[in-house]
Amino acid sequence: MGGKMFRNILVPTDGSALSRRAVRHAVQLAKEQKARVTGLWVGPAWEPNLYAYGDSVPPGFVSKKQHAARVRRAGARVLRTVKAAAAAARVPCECICVEGAFPYIEIVKAARRKRCDLIVMASHSRRGISRLLLGSQASKVLALATVPVLVCR
Amino acid sequence: MFKRILVPTDGSAPSRRAIRRAVQFAREQKARVIGFYVGPPWQLPIYSEYVPPELLSPKEHNAAVKKTAARYLGAVKKAARAAGVPCSVRYVLGAHPFDEIVKEARRRGCDLIAIASHGRRGISRLLLGSETSKVLSHSGIPVLVCR
Repeated sequence: MGGKMFRNILVPTDGSALSRRAVRHAVQLAKEQKARVTGLWVGPAWEPNLYAYGDSVPPGFVSKKQHAARVRRAGARVLRTVKAAAAAARVPCECICVEGAFPYIEIVKAARRKRCDLIVMASHSRRGISRLLLGSQASKVLALATVPVLVCR
Repeated sequence: MFKRILVPTDGSAPSRRAIRRAVQFAREQKARVIGFYVGPPWQLPIYSEYVPPELLSPKEHNAAVKKTAARYLGAVKKAARAAGVPCSVRYVLGAHPFDEIVKEARRRGCDLIAIASHGRRGISRLLLGSETSKVLSHSGIPVLVCR
């Protein structure tokens, strides 16, 4: 069946168990719809150390460059699972790793930039405290996204 | 991946758009569509000493809901027939649509709920409809939220 409806499925992940399930859902769906998968990981933004002024550089200070390298490394580790799942299902896959203080904004932006027509995400992952609450990022993505969102439980 | 898709509708424009998407998705997934409408239950008037002339008896109320349901669910049936998707429809009376939706999905063994981001009462693009957000938090199966 020609996948006309969804061609590019965005799957944001934070590496948690629930979000890994969302990745499996997304890849399975992409396979059936002959769509491609875009994996996304949003790392924390670099925050300039407010106390690092003058000559005193506190121990443990991380420069912007070092931070970017760490984010890339952490992202690659998480996104490896997306790539592996897509490769196993023979689904074309692209993974992006960005920095941002507000993951939902990066998710919506990435959906627009990569022209994704569906976002598949877990209802909650790291910060969702209970089944009865929708995760903070999921509910914000739902409010801001212009494309359909498949919320996996 | 999805075999039975529950499509709740309240007849509003966003919900009609969600129906179109759900039916198209069902065709691609070779799934069947279950249209669902939750009507308001009959209620006793609050001012019991004064009976407004337009007050409907429970019977009349049920008949009115049945008619509304037929109209709203007719849209689902029509879309499904046009796309060649197997379809059944059902309506119930209930004060809490989200509860009925989640229960119906469980009862009918649905594996996906396709719902609009807001229906009649979602005032803006930026808000998720009240019933939709409650369905999202109570559903045990994936939910496709259509814009």
